[in-house]
Amino acid sequence: MTSLSRRSLLVSGAAMIGAGLLAGRARASDARLTISSIWGADKPFQKVVDAFNAKGLGVTVENRFDGDYETATAKALAGIAAGKEPDLMITGWKFGYFARRILGARDLREINSARVNAIMANFRPSLAPLVTIDGALIGLPWAMSTPITFINSVLWAEAGLSADLPENPDTDWLYDAARKLDAALKGHATYRSALALSNNEWTSQSFIQNAGGFIIDPNGKLALDSEAARLGMEAYCAPAHEGLWLPVSGKEQDAAFEAGALAICTTTSTRAVAFPQGPAKAITAKFPGLPGHARNMNSGGNFLAVYTKNQERAEAALTFLEFCASAEGQKIWSEVGYLNTSTHEIPLINEFMKPAEAQLVDGLTAETIWPGKRGLEGQTIWRNWVSRMLTKDVSVADGLKQASAELSTVLAD
Amino acid sequence: MKTLAPWIFVGPAVVAVIVFLYGPMIASLVLSFLDWNLLSPDVGFAGTRHYQAVAASHDFRLSAWNTLLYCLVLIPAQILLPLGFALMIHGVRGSRMGPIYRGALFLPTIVAYSVAGVAWSWLLNPVNGLFNEVLSALGLPRSRWHTDPQLALLCVSLVTFWKSFGLNMLLWLAALTTVPQSLIEAARLDGARPRRIFFNITLPLISPTAFFIAVTTLFSVLDDIVGVVDVLTGGGPAGSSSNLLYYLWQQGLGFFQFGQASAVAMILIVAVLLVTWAQFALVERKVHYE
Repeated sequence: MTSLSRRSLLVSGAAMIGAGLLAGRARASDARLTISSIWGADKPFQKVVDAFNAKGLGVTVENRFDGDYETATAKALAGIAAGKEPDLMITGWKFGYFARRILGARDLREINSARVNAIMANFRPSLAPLVTIDGALIGLPWAMSTPITFINSVLWAEAGLSADLPENPDTDWLYDAARKLDAALKGHATYRSALALSNNEWTSQSFIQNAGGFIIDPNGKLALDSEAARLGMEAYCAPAHEGLWLPVSGKEQDAAFEAGALAICTTTSTRAVAFPQGPAKAITAKFPGLPGHARNMNSGGNFLAVYTKNQERAEAALTFLEFCASAEGQKIWSEVGYLNTSTHEIPLINEFMKPAEAQLVDGLTAETIWPGKRGLEGQTIWRNWVSRMLTKDVSVADGLKQASAELSTVLAD
Repeated sequence: MKTLAPWIFVGPAVVAVIVFLYGPMIASLVLSFLDWNLLSPDVGFAGTRHYQAVAASHDFRLSAWNTLLYCLVLIPAQILLPLGFALMIHGVRGSRMGPIYRGALFLPTIVAYSVAGVAWSWLLNPVNGLFNEVLSALGLPRSRWHTDPQLALLCVSLVTFWKSFGLNMLLWLAALTTVPQSLIEAARLDGARPRRIFFNITLPLISPTAFFIAVTTLFSVLDDIVGVVDVLTGGGPAGSSSNLLYYLWQQGLGFFQFGQASAVAMILIVAVLLVTWAQFALVERKVHYE
């Protein structure tokens, strides 16, 4: 037990204050950047931020948790209007047009094309178009997910179904399995529902594209009046109409699957971090394609965009992006469960990510980026019409027709 | 100095009311006639276009209809049921269980909306929620609850009621404690039945509180429902549980359509003012302030 004299206390106190002041002076020369993000301090993104800050590169970043994509975007808009824009923001893919045209996400090449080209060289070239809006490269394509199929292996085995999942499952196989599960497991202690294809504006896009159509075609035109769109939506709604699928929110679907009450669910590949570890002991397969049609899967997730108008701060933001794009940054980042979009050799966090990785190798389109000033409204309109089709409030053919009419008006604004 | 003193006392409140109430109301009124967004210096005159767009919107009409239904169901429920609970608790005053009943019934009021929403989404989960498990155990058919367009409005109303009836119950309880027991005793000695005592003695004496509750419940119902809808249903399925305030919030902070959001705000303000005026005109004369 060391005794503490008044003198030693004063000396050590003075030393601590002095050290603090010196460190403060050193930090004062750093550029301090704010990143508006959808992840709190308990998520792997914070580890990326901490690892970068620990490097002492003269740039310090602060991760500011601003809620989900919608809330973070609203806060960014208010901040920009008040002249206090976030330096960087985690921006949902679906907000691409809004980020560029309304929020003014910077064209990274305008900040420093040489540095940005070097950063982008760390990513697969096929991803650049996904973050290129109106000819401007507006972000780092580092957070990409894709919907895949999660299967409760316990219920699957109890229903006598084979654990050898097809490499390219289709809806015939999936719905047939759901019927068998339903027939075999009614009255089972935990089983409550065969299937969930929720998160409806996202997975409905997968079905339409796997049928050969688009919600919005590559030229930015609405394409819901096609035969392929009808085919895709009919396949999407079929299990709900048959009673194999109870349409619930993504949140409720996840809770039910984790509790072991749901046999099959299609959702974001990032759930591969948690689902296999829970009571469902999930196994994974690719998202179901449509029989006789070439698969054309979509991606999801977000990109890192720069919003600061100040050139010096924008350059500092690139320093952070350089770290994010590096092998070291990517390795830390991979814990989130996003796909490895970089050219670095980053091992998959677990085998359950393999179907998602395979879909990436096959090629992924962007998730629907709703155009026009009222694009965000467009997403809600589509979501509502999908709900109406699922609940038979309207037939698929009429639902598509009316959705198309309503969306045309809104997206033309 | 004499004339200045009152202003020193009421000044902060006046400033707060101007800044946080009348200022935004006037701003909304102005914005509802303008084409403006946060990020553009350009401001154009829109005339009544935002009002026309709102009136033509199917989602607005659905939200307005839902709001009317919410109010017709929730306002009477939020006034009468808390009174019933308050009378029961008042009846067991002095017993050891009184404070426990009071605390238990008031507890949901202090729960955060996000917590309440998550808790209820577990209970109502159509796949494996507790309510459906109970129905199954009783041999009854399972329900889709808030994911069923026919039931979503009712579910949200029930959760909102559960979340906010405690405050009115406390107000009723506070009012009941002010009724002199000597009057009740005298009436009992004269042979008056409980129903007669309530309507002829208790209710007139607590009528100022009753009027206050009637007026403020309209505001609280409109206010409380937004949090529950946001967390539990997001206005869905397909707008079936949306309401005017949620629609307003969605237009303004979801879609950044400030002109339309302001138009909805003005329509709502006018509607609430009319109802409140009617309450003052028709009900206040029945209030006994002495």
